[in-house]
Amino acid sequence: MPKRPQSSRSPKSDSAITTTPRFDPEQRVVAVTGAYSFIGAELIKRLERDQRFYKILACDVRKPAFPLHKTQFHKIDLTNPTADADLAELWRREGVDTVVHAAFLSAPTHAAAWAHELESIGTMHVLNAAAECNVHKLVQWSQTVVYGATPSNPNFLSEDHELGGEHSRSRFIKDKVEAERQLRRFSKENPSTVVTTLRTAATLGPTIRNFASRFFSRPVAPTLMGFDPLMQLVHERDVTDAFVLAVTTDYPGEFNIVGDGVLPYSTILALMGKVPLPLPHFIAYPLSKALWAAQIFDSPPNFLDLLRYLCVADGDKAKRVMGFSPKYDLKQTIADFLGLPSAAGHEHLPSVGGGV
Amino acid sequence: MATKILGDDPFGDAPAPKPEPKVEAKPEAKVEAQPEAKPEAKKEPKPRAKPAEPKVAAPPVAAPPVAAPPVAEPAPPPAKARPETPGSAYGPSIDARDASRPSPRIADDLRGIQDAVKHRLATRDATGEHAGERQSLPLEFLWRRWQKIAMRDRSDVVDEFGRDPHVAARVDPILSFLYKSYFRVEASGLGHIPDEGRALIVANHSGTLPYDGAMIMHAVRSEHAAHRDVRPLVEDFVFHFPYLGTLMNRIGGVRACPENAARLLEKDQLVAVFPEGIKGIGKLFRDRYQLQRFGRGGFIKLALKTDAPIIPTAVVGAEEIHPMLRKLTWLTRTIGVPYIPITPTFPALGPLGMLPLPSKWYIVFGEPLYFNAEYGKEGANDRILVNRLAEQVRIKIQDMLDVVLNKRQSVFFG
Repeated sequence: MPKRPQSSRSPKSDSAITTTPRFDPEQRVVAVTGAYSFIGAELIKRLERDQRFYKILACDVRKPAFPLHKTQFHKIDLTNPTADADLAELWRREGVDTVVHAAFLSAPTHAAAWAHELESIGTMHVLNAAAECNVHKLVQWSQTVVYGATPSNPNFLSEDHELGGEHSRSRFIKDKVEAERQLRRFSKENPSTVVTTLRTAATLGPTIRNFASRFFSRPVAPTLMGFDPLMQLVHERDVTDAFVLAVTTDYPGEFNIVGDGVLPYSTILALMGKVPLPLPHFIAYPLSKALWAAQIFDSPPNFLDLLRYLCVADGDKAKRVMGFSPKYDLKQTIADFLGLPSAAGHEHLPSVGGGV
Repeated sequence: MATKILGDDPFGDAPAPKPEPKVEAKPEAKVEAQPEAKPEAKKEPKPRAKPAEPKVAAPPVAAPPVAAPPVAEPAPPPAKARPETPGSAYGPSIDARDASRPSPRIADDLRGIQDAVKHRLATRDATGEHAGERQSLPLEFLWRRWQKIAMRDRSDVVDEFGRDPHVAARVDPILSFLYKSYFRVEASGLGHIPDEGRALIVANHSGTLPYDGAMIMHAVRSEHAAHRDVRPLVEDFVFHFPYLGTLMNRIGGVRACPENAARLLEKDQLVAVFPEGIKGIGKLFRDRYQLQRFGRGGFIKLALKTDAPIIPTAVVGAEEIHPMLRKLTWLTRTIGVPYIPITPTFPALGPLGMLPLPSKWYIVFGEPLYFNAEYGKEGANDRILVNRLAEQVRIKIQDMLDVVLNKRQSVFFG
């Protein structure tokens, strides 16, 4: 591994004095927050193999559970009130050029206050530190649920559609929207930083554990009688690909990371062999509220909106601008999630690079 | 019962589940940033985590028995299958087994499982990448049966706006009955619809429920030379209704909004719009065939932007299917509908009152209007021009309506 000069990057205030190049494309240092999460861990695995990356800083409260070679683990809790100072110090010391902020929850939790601290305040800490270190690039994970499932959504939500999730009563979605708001402000205040937001659709795959995978792992799934919205999924490998793309090349802006194809919810359930449990919506909402309040069920009542109204994002921009091409379409994602050998799935297994 | 078959199935020689790469068994550790990790830690007791061992395959029965009852076919006594299946040569032995029972399908299922395991082994050996894969299907063949049942009346491919060819094919005879026998639709001017390429059918809207959209769709599909599919844009309120919105969507309806319409036209589809919108469909009987304001001219902007010809279309007869005398707007917000119609039959006869009256229909497609050639894309930004063109189209359709109405002798017999 080439030796990197120990150049410590100066803070913003005296950046005029420093002569160190801000960004060395062959010797990059990437910081990943939420390194234990699926996206964080998979991204680190991929960057570890990439020669262009000199060092990776994994920031999380738990150490990633795979062997680390050029990755340094730093235990940083984003809910800690001084997390921003810790991050800034670390990143400046190591000369971080790219920050990947993936420390978000992948499923709603009853600990709403803590979740808010982590997602909203944690994002504030990360953005403060990124502004302080004047990083070259910031990639943040978001989800397409920020658009919110409403009856007035068009069939395909583009990136500039308003974030309807703001009006949702779900804290989970609201915190995500708030994080995006902060990021937008950051992007305005720091025009020199490349800011990329990747909004992923519900992600499934053989290894990922999140709300969707838990939901679709049960034998029975609730449906709202008479409502059968179209849904989309994205494969975990494609999500990782998108993050690698966004880290290796600069694509400022927001991108929907979605798989090809849509299917009605009931068809997805049928393909997965789930038994639908039809409930009238006026019963389902209070029931779900009660189950959530009693901590019996893991989805808050507002999530039923996703089973009722459309929330499908348009992935055209990512394809056009980033050159992102999902290797798994909806049915292949389902097949791979179920562990079935789908005809097309074979071709996309790791050794094969191209596809579709 | 089903589990016994699995007892001998190839899972027996599937590899033991490799240790999960991501799991560090620290159950006490507080998972801060990734709740994804939680289920993994808990995974051990879950049966599906261990696909390989036949004994553990028994508990997961929890899932499939639910699926089992719908399997109406005579389930073969699986106990027989057991003794004569040697683990190594199970493939041929299945085929060789007594032909008395309906085995081929089960044999297929088992072969599927065999393939699955081979595939799993191959991918694991080759790359080690899939080591963390889980087996979500403890009873795969039962699952396949259930999947077949669940998928029987739907297609596993819908177009991007949700039109399901199977559902559409099933609804087609109903539409055909309505079209031919019930409303006895007479369509004319179908030649004005291009055989290919985008076009915007602009029609008057009436009838309380969007039958007119369905009839225009059916007219073009069954009588036009190219049998094209029309995508009618349907008001929002239809999608607030349970069932109705879903059904409209499966047979081709699309929620009316500029984004959807533009996307469809850019894909060279035939789109039907009803610019009167809710004001048109909810017209009182005394206002019949009086075209309402054409929205804000959104359809003109659309046609100018996407360079689509406008085909003015008049639908006569739909006004009389549900002659609405009054409409109640009281409390309707709370149930998500714009109004409750009062027709001579509706609340009085209950659900029976929801049957449309069998009026005689005429659908007239007019000559296409090419505004884009004259005003170009920029015309879309000229609001006064847009309004003027919208009014022009409205008058054109009103004239077409009047011509047909003057010829018509009777509402029910034409």
